[in-house]
Amino acid sequence: MRIVVLHKWAPDPQEATVGADGSVDFSRAKAAVSDYDAVAIQCGRQLADAAGAALVGVSVGGEAAARPVATKSALARGLDEVVVVSDPELEEAGSARTAQAIAAAVAALGDVGLVLAGDSSVDVGARMVPAVVAGRLGWPVLADVDSVALAGGSVAVERLAPEGVQSISAALPVVIALTSEAVKTKAPGMKDVLGAGKKPVTVKSLADLGLTALSEGAVTSRAKLGGPARKGVVIDTSDPAAAAAELVDALRAAGALA
Amino acid sequence: MPFQLTDEQVLTRDSVREFAEAEIAPIAAEIDQNHRPPLESIGKLAEAGLLGMLIPEEYGGAGLDALSYAIAIEELSRVCATHGVLVEAHSSLCTWAIAHHGTEDQKRKYLPDLASGEAVGAFGLTEPNAGSDASSLATTAVRDSDEFVLNGQKIFITNGGFAKTFVIMARSTDAPGVKGISAFIVERGRPGFEILEPERKMGIRGSSTTPLAFTGCRIPAANLLGQEGAGFKIAMQILDGGRTGIAAQAVGIAQGAFEAACKYAKERVQFGRPIAALQAIQWLIADMAVDIAAGRALVYRAADLESRGEPHGQAAAMAKLFCGEMATRVTGKAIQVHGGVGYTEAYPVERAYRDAKITEIYEGTSEIQRLVIARHYLR
Repeated sequence: MRIVVLHKWAPDPQEATVGADGSVDFSRAKAAVSDYDAVAIQCGRQLADAAGAALVGVSVGGEAAARPVATKSALARGLDEVVVVSDPELEEAGSARTAQAIAAAVAALGDVGLVLAGDSSVDVGARMVPAVVAGRLGWPVLADVDSVALAGGSVAVERLAPEGVQSISAALPVVIALTSEAVKTKAPGMKDVLGAGKKPVTVKSLADLGLTALSEGAVTSRAKLGGPARKGVVIDTSDPAAAAAELVDALRAAGALA
Repeated sequence: MPFQLTDEQVLTRDSVREFAEAEIAPIAAEIDQNHRPPLESIGKLAEAGLLGMLIPEEYGGAGLDALSYAIAIEELSRVCATHGVLVEAHSSLCTWAIAHHGTEDQKRKYLPDLASGEAVGAFGLTEPNAGSDASSLATTAVRDSDEFVLNGQKIFITNGGFAKTFVIMARSTDAPGVKGISAFIVERGRPGFEILEPERKMGIRGSSTTPLAFTGCRIPAANLLGQEGAGFKIAMQILDGGRTGIAAQAVGIAQGAFEAACKYAKERVQFGRPIAALQAIQWLIADMAVDIAAGRALVYRAADLESRGEPHGQAAAMAKLFCGEMATRVTGKAIQVHGGVGYTEAYPVERAYRDAKITEIYEGTSEIQRLVIARHYLR
């Protein structure tokens, strides 16, 4: 059996800048395997070791997704191999096109019992891809999962709910989206770093997967993001008590506090 | 000489940074305040492959190139200079020496444990009367049948308090000056080998710095490292690599302080705006950035020469000289950006300032580096 982990070579939001109008500029942000995907890879490694399964990374995107530094970054975290769907049409693709390409890559691999995804993509954060992948594959999807265990042909997961822990079992194959706290991630060691370049990487185009025209689907409505314009007030916090008082005064002045 | 880091070097930087921020940053201030060696980090460093960086794969290490190693030392030191020197002394001064000068038996006996963290390494050259003048060392190793008998004292030995494998320089023949010096591997616990009380230092306070005393300490003749009488040459080769490591440590200390200064400058408001908007602060930040970039370029140059098997002693001396003095300059400016709070233990820059000073002193003072550089041009 293969376990697939979805990962994205995405700009780090910590390095993005936010303009006065609320727009986010990623142009100077360094790309990386996000913390969320690192959780999925590490969880997948534990499951694959326990089940004797192969752990395959699947990543889709434009030219950058297939760069050796991108695939090695993911492989160093514990994947056995990586399949990249790299195509100009996938450059900054939305959730629907991304999920179509992922689903096709997973189907092409064959013998996949489990697809693991992180909480969300670190740059877009729509949290839609796992569900759309599952829909395309015709598999169930379990989201917000805190722990996963494989037992024979099924999977048992736990989700933290306000009223307690929710336990769910599902027959394989299944798509699972993990929370960001599902496992504590560990930085790749030096041997992992040096070994990453020796693992197999397969790069495919959309045509290789038999996909011609991808659709983002119909847009049913549009809403402008962002709340009221920022006032750009900066409060000096070197005196915490004075800073708190200043914040309260500012909130009162804005009518946010009675 | 442009440096395009390889993918593996980029990943080394990112991985060690992630490791250092997760595992070391939380204890960095505490070990400094308590002068406490971070023994709990040794297993973690080993698991991350950071104790076997200069050990070949066949002996359990990762076998990194010199530039990747320098990048790793910089990243550890960016968060905690104590961890930087713990790994640097273990790697450059002990594991490198055994990997390059050891017999096959010595490599098989010592290197796997040094890579796994079962043993930490240390290096003993300096003595009370042999500091910069290393050729004056007085510790003796007298041959007695199939053993050597060591007598003498070493001082300022990094990792002394917990290391298990020591590379020790001692005088084993009557040959004058440096020709009588040989290198030996000495294991902790040998009768007649005593580890004395650690120093209480201005900076790198978590680093264990101890004197060593040898009193009739018998070691097998098989523990001779390299040829008899070649000890001084081996020591100088060890220090060539070590100086690049200390230069990288200095860059890391400066980088950490620089980032703290940038963060503070953007948060601290005076005269109605963040102090980062003031040209007086911008100039400090710009000068710090240039200083660090220049130092890092010197480190990369020395490490690149070493990676390619080229002579690198003079390049390492330049890197060590510039970066040691640069780290003191940059950390001082980082305190200046912070103003009064930068002088307190509440912010990391005062620790960085204290940690930086030693990089001008150990593994060859700035004055010795100037001597090495001048001799290269005036020979």
